[in-house]
Amino acid sequence: MRLTKPTLFTNIPVTCEEKDLPGDLFNQLMRDDPSTVNGAEVLMLGEMLTLPQNFGNIFLGETFSSYISVHNDSNQVVKDILVKADLQTSSQRLNLSASNAAVAELKPDCCIDDVIHHEVKEIGTHILVCAVSYTTQAGEKMYFRKFFKFQVLKPLDVKTKFYNAETDEVFLEAQIQNMTTSPMFMEKVSLEPSIMYNVTELNSVSQAGECVSTFGSRAYLQPMDTRQYLYCLKPKNEFAEKAGIIKGVTVIGKLDIVWKTNLGERGRLQTSQLQRMAPGYGDVRLSLEAIPDTVNLEEPFHITCKITNCSERTMDLVLEMCNTNSIHWCGISGRQLGKLHPSSSLCLALTLLSSVQGLQSISGLRLTDTFLKRTYEYDDIAQVCVVSSAIKVES
Amino acid sequence: MVKSPSFGGASEASARTPPQVVQPSPSLSTFFGDTAASHSLASDFFDSFTTSAFISVSNPGAGSPAPASPPPLAVPGTEGRPQPVAMRGPQAAAPPASPEPFAHIQAVFAGSDDPFATALSMSEMDRRNDAWLPGEATRGVLRAVATQQRGAVFVDKENLTMPGLRFDNIQGDAVKDLMLRFLGEKAAAKRQVLNADSVEQSFVGLKQLISCRNWRAAVDLCGRLLTAHGQGYGKSGLPTSHTTDSLQLWFVRLALLVKLGLFQNAEMEFEPFGNLDQPDLYYEYYPHVYPGRRGSMVPFSMRILHAELQQYLGNPQESLDRLHKVKTVCSKILANLEQGLAEDGGISSVTQEGRQASVRLWRSRLGRVMYSMANCLLLMKDYVLAVEAYHSVIKYYPEQEPQLLSGIGRISLQIGDIKTAEKYFQDVEKVTQKLDGLQGKIMVLMNSAFLHLGQNNFAEAHRFFTEILRMDPTNAVANNNAAVCLLYLGKLKDSLRQLEAMVQQDPRHYLHESVLFNLTTMYELESSRSMQKKQALLEAVAGKEGDSFNAQCLKLA
Repeated sequence: MRLTKPTLFTNIPVTCEEKDLPGDLFNQLMRDDPSTVNGAEVLMLGEMLTLPQNFGNIFLGETFSSYISVHNDSNQVVKDILVKADLQTSSQRLNLSASNAAVAELKPDCCIDDVIHHEVKEIGTHILVCAVSYTTQAGEKMYFRKFFKFQVLKPLDVKTKFYNAETDEVFLEAQIQNMTTSPMFMEKVSLEPSIMYNVTELNSVSQAGECVSTFGSRAYLQPMDTRQYLYCLKPKNEFAEKAGIIKGVTVIGKLDIVWKTNLGERGRLQTSQLQRMAPGYGDVRLSLEAIPDTVNLEEPFHITCKITNCSERTMDLVLEMCNTNSIHWCGISGRQLGKLHPSSSLCLALTLLSSVQGLQSISGLRLTDTFLKRTYEYDDIAQVCVVSSAIKVES
Repeated sequence: MVKSPSFGGASEASARTPPQVVQPSPSLSTFFGDTAASHSLASDFFDSFTTSAFISVSNPGAGSPAPASPPPLAVPGTEGRPQPVAMRGPQAAAPPASPEPFAHIQAVFAGSDDPFATALSMSEMDRRNDAWLPGEATRGVLRAVATQQRGAVFVDKENLTMPGLRFDNIQGDAVKDLMLRFLGEKAAAKRQVLNADSVEQSFVGLKQLISCRNWRAAVDLCGRLLTAHGQGYGKSGLPTSHTTDSLQLWFVRLALLVKLGLFQNAEMEFEPFGNLDQPDLYYEYYPHVYPGRRGSMVPFSMRILHAELQQYLGNPQESLDRLHKVKTVCSKILANLEQGLAEDGGISSVTQEGRQASVRLWRSRLGRVMYSMANCLLLMKDYVLAVEAYHSVIKYYPEQEPQLLSGIGRISLQIGDIKTAEKYFQDVEKVTQKLDGLQGKIMVLMNSAFLHLGQNNFAEAHRFFTEILRMDPTNAVANNNAAVCLLYLGKLKDSLRQLEAMVQQDPRHYLHESVLFNLTTMYELESSRSMQKKQALLEAVAGKEGDSFNAQCLKLA
């Protein structure tokens, strides 16, 4: 018998008032009923535990617990009973029995009991094979098997989405959907990063010294509900340099999810390694190291750019600054930046001002590689908020 | 609000103040003197609402009047169709007669020329119990009735309540049927339960059947009494009239149907009552029968039942809507009382004590509605709202705070939120520290056991349940739960022994369907020859349980 957790018995309260015909009878009946809560008989959720009546569903990551009982129905003693329980999946066969020793004898109307637990690690058809071998009183060796088939279903649907920030940070949004038939309490959803990254989880805030989940009072997921979890990944210092020129697919880490359902029935899953396609930076990458959020109208401000040579050859770069309607660069355009070797970078401080209020996009930088005579254009590098100088901006 | 005496002053009796009689359904008997000196006309005419007798005489649509000396019980052996016999209890002396409203009106105001005074002496309890706020349309009709002197007010048939039994006889006994199938006729014949024929055909008999858990028989007896009132099988849709007693009978019948789980049957018979606001369900609609009396005849608990029924039929949203309407009326009445007005918003003419009693009553009714709403939300699995609702209930029933907090803890366990459950259980501990006696300690132990269950620690849970049994050996829940834990620990035989001992020790209390469900489940696990043991259970049940027993838990079918 599968041992899912027991359920609590609910009763149907029917009450009346003293002046009604039954008087106190209905209340007395409820008080006498052992399944009602003593002192709060109208409360539907009682305290009596009821054993599971059917197999129910089982999901990947949960623990399959089962009671295995071998009962001597005959009126004779049997000897040398060996009980073996195996779990057969599409890919493997596992032995689940706690003990492999044979029991010397089993008297009539007695039984051999065992409770097995197994954390289910595969989806699909599973077959519990119970094999019993014994010797009758007459000395005959007997053997029989029983099969119990069940399906393991998928409990969660996980979708991930990556966001690249203007700095080297990567944000991971994980959407988790409850695909089971009962409410699910997410005990822990964490991202285990690969060696290149440090991770900060953004799913709880500190309120009055306590860590409060961003999901508020909705502590659980109803069937088919979805929840989004957010993580911020920053490349570790030793990898920060390389991160600028990572091409292709990189491994970010994996999600580790632990959940609980009825009366603490536990489930645990890990996703496979999540992968991210690095955005193509081309041969030369221009990123921002420092930039203010808000600046005053027509007041010059500074930004720091980092130019990284992502190609295989040394470059000799010339920087040109082009003005747009709103952005006006200060300084000398067309100057030489010097040689830049492959995989190395240089930092550049630039000054500019904006002549239009509002959220302005910084554009107009041109890098020309004199060796190959190739020009790389950089527009819409970042945004800055330009406010009228009547409003004091903290610098 | 008093009707002007259109029925002349000449009275036959000498002036007499009506005795203050407080009865479960007090009514016009307060206008009468003893039956000994009696104006048998008056006592015959009106329902004599004592606890023992039921004479349905106010309804012109009722069956033929009874013979001169009616038997105390119905003739045994009259199965099936209840006869329209006028039943009476041992107290009333005179034979009943067919009603003729207007001829006997004089007797009502026996001695008192002043209906105003009689109205004032009307029971305080009645007024606050029956207070209700009718809807717009109903108010219109009742006003029309009030301003009419004689003759009928024309009311659209759609707005009238015309109930009738929708099924005739559910006197079945599932246990006896099972016995016939599995244990044979001789064994089945030994099963003795009270049925509708074996008790007095009155409220007394009805209460007997209810208390010994023969609810099917009780439903049938209600049916017979209602048939005498003219609302029997086939009478649905026919014009009729209502009294306090007839509505109480309907309430009991419908409540028992719900307790038996016969929800569809209950819904069918509830249907003619609409939303319990029709004009003919108000006392004002019967100025000749209940002069001066105001309010709704519908028992408050019937309104709760009417709302809750929907959630058992799979329409919990409808339940919530109905409960909200009841809540609105309760809140409005309370607001009126708190402003010093009468329940219905009119000028109040009661003492300070009377008003306080009314406030207490309506507050407890409001609390009952909130309780229903919380239960409904729980059934809908809207756990966040359900928990909030249970918190509101604590305000109305502060003495139930530890039980309600424990219940919320259990809800958290059901979702899988062990930490929150733990927090609630800690709160329960704080609250129960101030209580003396065992109950508080047992609650704390029970919660600890559940917490360990949530953490998969069946051994610890078993220890806690056993601890409770040491303190209270008759605690059925702890006994059952300890046995369940044993199963999870791989000790089937021990578990069976514990449950069987429990059932044999005190079958009156412990032959409960959840315990038997567990027992039969384990019998099936133990051996494929579980049938014999289940049949033994059937025999135990047969000797002790009434006809309301849910035989499905024996898993014999």
